Amino acid sequence: MPLARSARSYTPIPFWRRARRIFLLAAIACLIPAAVSYVGAMSEKHNVGLGVSSVEWLRQHGGNSLVSQVENWYYTLNAPEKGGPPLRSLPQVGIAGVGGSGRSESTYRPPRVAPIIHPALPGEGVWKAAAKGAGPRPPILVTTFRSDPEYPQFVAGVAWIDSSLTHLSYMPGLAEPPSPLPHRGPSEVPGALRKRVVATFNGGFPLETSGGGLIYRGKAKEAMVNGAATVIEYRDGRVDIVRWHGGPQAPANVWFAKQNLPPIVYEGRLNPNLSDGPEWGETVNNAVRVWRSGLGIDRKGNLIYAAADNQTVESLAKILQRAGAVRALELDINEDWTSFISYSRPGAAGPGNLLPEMFRPSDRYLTPDERDFFAVYLRPGEKW
Amino acid sequence: MVNLPRDISPGTAARRSLLADLLAAIALALLVLQLAAGIGVVGFLALLTIATIVFWIALEAGVRRLRRRGKAHI
Repeated sequence: MPLARSARSYTPIPFWRRARRIFLLAAIACLIPAAVSYVGAMSEKHNVGLGVSSVEWLRQHGGNSLVSQVENWYYTLNAPEKGGPPLRSLPQVGIAGVGGSGRSESTYRPPRVAPIIHPALPGEGVWKAAAKGAGPRPPILVTTFRSDPEYPQFVAGVAWIDSSLTHLSYMPGLAEPPSPLPHRGPSEVPGALRKRVVATFNGGFPLETSGGGLIYRGKAKEAMVNGAATVIEYRDGRVDIVRWHGGPQAPANVWFAKQNLPPIVYEGRLNPNLSDGPEWGETVNNAVRVWRSGLGIDRKGNLIYAAADNQTVESLAKILQRAGAVRALELDINEDWTSFISYSRPGAAGPGNLLPEMFRPSDRYLTPDERDFFAVYLRPGEKW
Repeated sequence: MVNLPRDISPGTAARRSLLADLLAAIALALLVLQLAAGIGVVGFLALLTIATIVFWIALEAGVRRLRRRGKAHI
């Protein structure tokens, strides 16, 4: 005779097992919307690997501090050793014998970057034209120098951009800035402008990471933050790097402005908070040695771009200061985002990275890119 | 108000507890999604949680199997 239902034994599941089951089910439920978002993001157009795209997706969806923390641990564990054998030569950059220093006001050329480590290596700190056919007054000069006596193998790459011959343009990327943007553009150097492009370089942290503002085509797309370092182009074409005090909206005379953390060099001096300030906490720790890049402006109003591997915020600021920058801000960090590319001929032909160790290919900005960037064009009337 | 039948089979009791746990899990997931900084960090932590619990369950099953095999040899 079969037992009555109630007579059959039902052993209740222990509490901890039920709790475990609840957590497992909750985790699966949480994973579903995240997976939908992730798969959607990964199936969009990218020009970086899946790993980098995944990290970027995580950053953009609330995981910024998590990613930064993991990066901090990684870079701290892999920090470079001090010292090491001295270098015998520097990477070959630019065209030897073209460029150089000049004192005349009409053809201003920057002075040689004084070497820090002696004896200096051949060509160390000597400005050379970035392109072969750039004529007697090349718009872009490049040089390299060893930037830190404690780490004699570290080489910084620096580019000087003649503002009297060139025009800086802010180019939105495919995914950055993220907000809906009218006139986003092709996220690469537009075909029609390639005959005039002389250089392109990375555009700074994503807005969500930096917490900074953006003015694009005269309108504030992200509220500007007072006190933040700002690359700015006025409607008359003049470019500057300033500490912003204009409030959240776009002033009438500003065409574009992008902010990235506080200035690292201001009025010729290093920011006193570079070594321990909380202002740099939203990104990879200020003291972690990693690829870093920055943009400065010299006392004549010409732009100076610098990048190097194994830099802290402070050492990057010192590189820019030594190269002649009186005001400067940090741009992107990490090898995936640091790029300075000069073009040797009209039509964006012969692209070349500032430093041979730069990770991204030299045609990075000739195909649509994730991130925003800056393009440097010859002014109308100026010829190669 | 409807009273649930008390005279139920063990299978029904197990299903009923599973349903209760599922509802609790959905409530917990909604709370987490509401409070978290973003869906990315939720997904990342959910993956870690799933991996940990699945590993835990597999370990438990392995130990249980080893114990059974040990008893069979005695």
